[in-house]
Amino acid sequence: MRIEHQSNQQIDRSKSLTFIFNDKKYHGFEGDTLASALIASDSLLFARSFKYGRKRGLMAAGVEEPNALVSLEIGGRYTPNLKATEIPLYDGLSAKSSTNPNSFDLRAFIKPLHRFMPAGFYYKTFIKQAVWAKVEDSLRSLSGFSEAPTEEDVDVYDHVHHHAEVLIIGGGAAGMSAALEVLNNSTNERVILVDERAKLGGELFNEFSSDESASKWHEESVADLCGFAKEQSDRFTMLTRSAAYAWHDQNYVEVLETHATGENLSSTEGNQPRKTLHKIRAKEVILATGAHERPMLFEANDLTNIMLSQSVRRYLNEYGVVSGKKVVVYGNNDSIYQTAHDLQNSNIACTVVDVRSADAANPVAEKAKQGGIKVLQGYAVVKAHGSNGIESIDVALATHQGDSWEVIGDSESLSCDLLATSGGFNPVVHLDCHTGAKAAFDDVSQAFLPQKDRANRQTCGAVRGIGAWQDASIDGKNKAQLTLQSLAVVSQASNTDLSDNSANYFNVSEFFTPKAIIDRPKVFLDLQNDVTTLDVALSVREGYRSIEHIKRYTAMGFGTDQGKTGNINGIAVAAEILGKSMAEVGTTTFRPAYTGVDFGALAGRENGGLFDPQRFTTIHDSHVAKGAEFEVVGQWYRPWYYPKAGENMHQAVHRECLAARTSLGMMDASTLGKIDVQGPDAREFLSRVYTNAWMKLAPGSCRYGLMCNEKGMIIDDGVSTCISDNHFIMTTTTGGAASVYATLEMWLQTEWSHLDVHLNSVTDHYSTVAVVGPNARNLMKLLCQDVDFDRENFKFMQWREGTVCGVKARIMRISFSGELAYEINVEANYGRYIWDQVATVGEKWNITPYGTESMHVLRAEKGYIIVGQDTDGSMTPADVNMNWIVAKNKPFSFIGQRSFSIAALAGENRLQLVGLLTKDAAVVLPEGAHIVDNKGKSIGYVTSSYFSPIMGRSIAMAQMQGGLSKIGETTIVKIVQEKQGLKEIPCEVSGSVFYDINGEKVDGND
Amino acid sequence: MFLIHCPYCNEEREQGEFSPAGEAFIARPEAPEDISDEAWADYVFYRTNHKGDHWEQWVHSNGCRKYFMVERSTISHEILRVAPFGADISE
Repeated sequence: MRIEHQSNQQIDRSKSLTFIFNDKKYHGFEGDTLASALIASDSLLFARSFKYGRKRGLMAAGVEEPNALVSLEIGGRYTPNLKATEIPLYDGLSAKSSTNPNSFDLRAFIKPLHRFMPAGFYYKTFIKQAVWAKVEDSLRSLSGFSEAPTEEDVDVYDHVHHHAEVLIIGGGAAGMSAALEVLNNSTNERVILVDERAKLGGELFNEFSSDESASKWHEESVADLCGFAKEQSDRFTMLTRSAAYAWHDQNYVEVLETHATGENLSSTEGNQPRKTLHKIRAKEVILATGAHERPMLFEANDLTNIMLSQSVRRYLNEYGVVSGKKVVVYGNNDSIYQTAHDLQNSNIACTVVDVRSADAANPVAEKAKQGGIKVLQGYAVVKAHGSNGIESIDVALATHQGDSWEVIGDSESLSCDLLATSGGFNPVVHLDCHTGAKAAFDDVSQAFLPQKDRANRQTCGAVRGIGAWQDASIDGKNKAQLTLQSLAVVSQASNTDLSDNSANYFNVSEFFTPKAIIDRPKVFLDLQNDVTTLDVALSVREGYRSIEHIKRYTAMGFGTDQGKTGNINGIAVAAEILGKSMAEVGTTTFRPAYTGVDFGALAGRENGGLFDPQRFTTIHDSHVAKGAEFEVVGQWYRPWYYPKAGENMHQAVHRECLAARTSLGMMDASTLGKIDVQGPDAREFLSRVYTNAWMKLAPGSCRYGLMCNEKGMIIDDGVSTCISDNHFIMTTTTGGAASVYATLEMWLQTEWSHLDVHLNSVTDHYSTVAVVGPNARNLMKLLCQDVDFDRENFKFMQWREGTVCGVKARIMRISFSGELAYEINVEANYGRYIWDQVATVGEKWNITPYGTESMHVLRAEKGYIIVGQDTDGSMTPADVNMNWIVAKNKPFSFIGQRSFSIAALAGENRLQLVGLLTKDAAVVLPEGAHIVDNKGKSIGYVTSSYFSPIMGRSIAMAQMQGGLSKIGETTIVKIVQEKQGLKEIPCEVSGSVFYDINGEKVDGND
Repeated sequence: MFLIHCPYCNEEREQGEFSPAGEAFIARPEAPEDISDEAWADYVFYRTNHKGDHWEQWVHSNGCRKYFMVERSTISHEILRVAPFGADISE
């Protein structure tokens, strides 16, 4: 309910907003969160729990909330699994519970089965794959939270880079104070202050009703900071609604800023981003991230309207809402009395149950009693009752003897409709630990505090155990001074002493984990994943000792809240069961991201057309005009095939292949990587990086080369052209161009700096048109008059300089199809002109453009390998039957040569490249299909497989164990056919050259 | 993501402009054919995986394309020194 006339800090009661939650209409005020507006409307049920389908309501008011997960909006603005506590209300907001709490829930129905779903349930039950396959679909539909989005995100997201001298994370009392101290004592240093909430102040708002100086300090500090942001905007940036979620090396911090949510981003704002990812590099970081409250443990502690004490206070003070009329405040530290005090001021009946004994004088408790608040000291809540929310609690006497707590005597019942609990505070050390810092347990504050003395960072306020706001603000100043000293802005940091009682988190007592409590059922630690104390006990019984293993076995802290409320209690329970101290058990590892980050924000503008660079040859428009389908190869858009009207891919490829084999085809080969190699030692260099000989290759000639790495494995191949004694042009595979170039540079720069060779990537300097087929020579004679194309004067693997259709060109007589072929290389911008000329003149022979698919068929017919398809980085030249290209007597031991002689590469049972001919010529094997021996064991796999139009049968290349010695034998390839299951295809092992085995076609017919 | 100072460009740039290129000072044996399989395998496969201050190679792949050496702490990831090949790195 909303309390009338309550002064509050966040909402504007003059601005009423309408919203829809779970298909029902509600009202709230400007400044509300979805959570606070729903409390105002007494709509407290948010979800069904993950495993048991139990009804759940709000537990917290901020990022730590485990239960109130909702999906926001629909369609292109649909966002799943947001926390209702973090969604600012706007007019027309529409949200749904991630798990509908009102619908019939099968999990609630199977409640009696709870004890059959303990920790490790899934591991144990589904270790047999057959069981899992049967129930997977129905289980998956039961588990999880919001449904995944189905439509493309309509919003845009930005990335912004910052450099700063000082970054302050957290805008509560400590962070604000630190920021002001830095700004007031420096002139040029760039400062950034980030806070996840809409308004600066953190937990300070809670103090306003009881402490006038707090509100005065807040007002002045905010005014000062806003003044700096306005007047010194070049050096001070203030980011609110901005969550620092990751802290990387070198003080690189990622912050996600939310500008607006869902429909709130009106169309008039055009292309404004919905969220911005700030990438901040700071010399110094001041961490003022505060602390999260942890709950007390008791049976059925997950009932609706059992909340964290400071969260109840925050809803009351900031939004003027409270979800009960009869409240019990229960805990183990003095902060619970502040909650009771605030409730009493709002005329809400409340009782305090303090687990700490009355034996030690406690002035805070005395003051509450004098103020008329009923206080039970030395009592513990052992169980909560209620069906649709909490109705009563059982309390019993608690004593602390030696190291452990005990619950004694009978319990008595206390009725209530809201239970606020506080089990102490967990410093938000998450970010601090992202870069390897270890949080250390501190007995005084009963908390894991940040590691001390880390370079270029300071921590201040509640994150290091300082609870009172006055101390936090002094601490912020002190740490700002140390930061300025580190930056050499001040020579000696000044220091103001904190109060004597600053470091004990409100006189918190030890974790309340008596056996009488943690042995009970339904004592929930992680509410989002339904992990109880019994799950932790079970995992210990089953042998897990490390908290990291216990976490994984129970799934504690695996949820979207990352266990912010549950994990530390879980560690305390594990410590109790293991008989160890908190320090000995330690924490699990904190990893980014601290809180949820939208995929859209991570992608930023780098999606759609900007996801990856797109590369087009200069001939591209002609391919488009010809109706080509494209495939992407190493960012290049290469024509895949050119279908004519009514043709499918198979038909188009059939036609293209036959054209190249019987008359004339043409292909755009511009995308092949080209590296210009120049210098007196160019030949020596090629000899070192290729397996074959290069010293005698004459200018005017070309040579195919195979490149290996030092492991002896093939990494690239291609033809290099000798332009002159000091000048070669190397071609690489299209996809390997960048990595080959980088590798060659590495050899030259790190090992062979004495070689006088220079490399340059010239891939896109040239356009290459290949003309392929028996009529290629006839065509070239028409295109180019100043070159002698006679077969004896211009031989295979030679090149000539000439003029093609008026354009200076290098013409290489090389072939990747086995046919007579020429590759015309011209300066890149003439590419399309030459292509179109070739196409026009070639009409006489029905010249047919073909794409990469036909290229693959033609080269496979000839047994030419594709590096990366027929090899996978574990194939030597011998494995692909190419020992003919490995020179034996080069003076320099070329890259990879030494590895050929190690024993592991000499085995005859290695995978070797062979051909496979299916007994049924019509069956085309799927690439990747396995060759099996007579026991059904895999002995290799198919790497390339096509239907060869010229041969009228299927052909395949395969890697087969000891394959080269099995040529002529019959073997079996197992394939999976749709609806028919596994099928065995008998094949004959053959050589990998299928067509024109003697290479007679390469000179043409004339 | 590191900021790395390229000794050739003499600029501190984003890690995304660079590529790592393995441990520094792995010299290729002068006469590979004359050494044992073990010695060859040591050169090809084995690296120190050193915990502490460590010299490694980086290349300014989206910049000047130069390879250079970086001394980096493998514990804190702090970059201590950068140097071009051939520089005197004794302290």
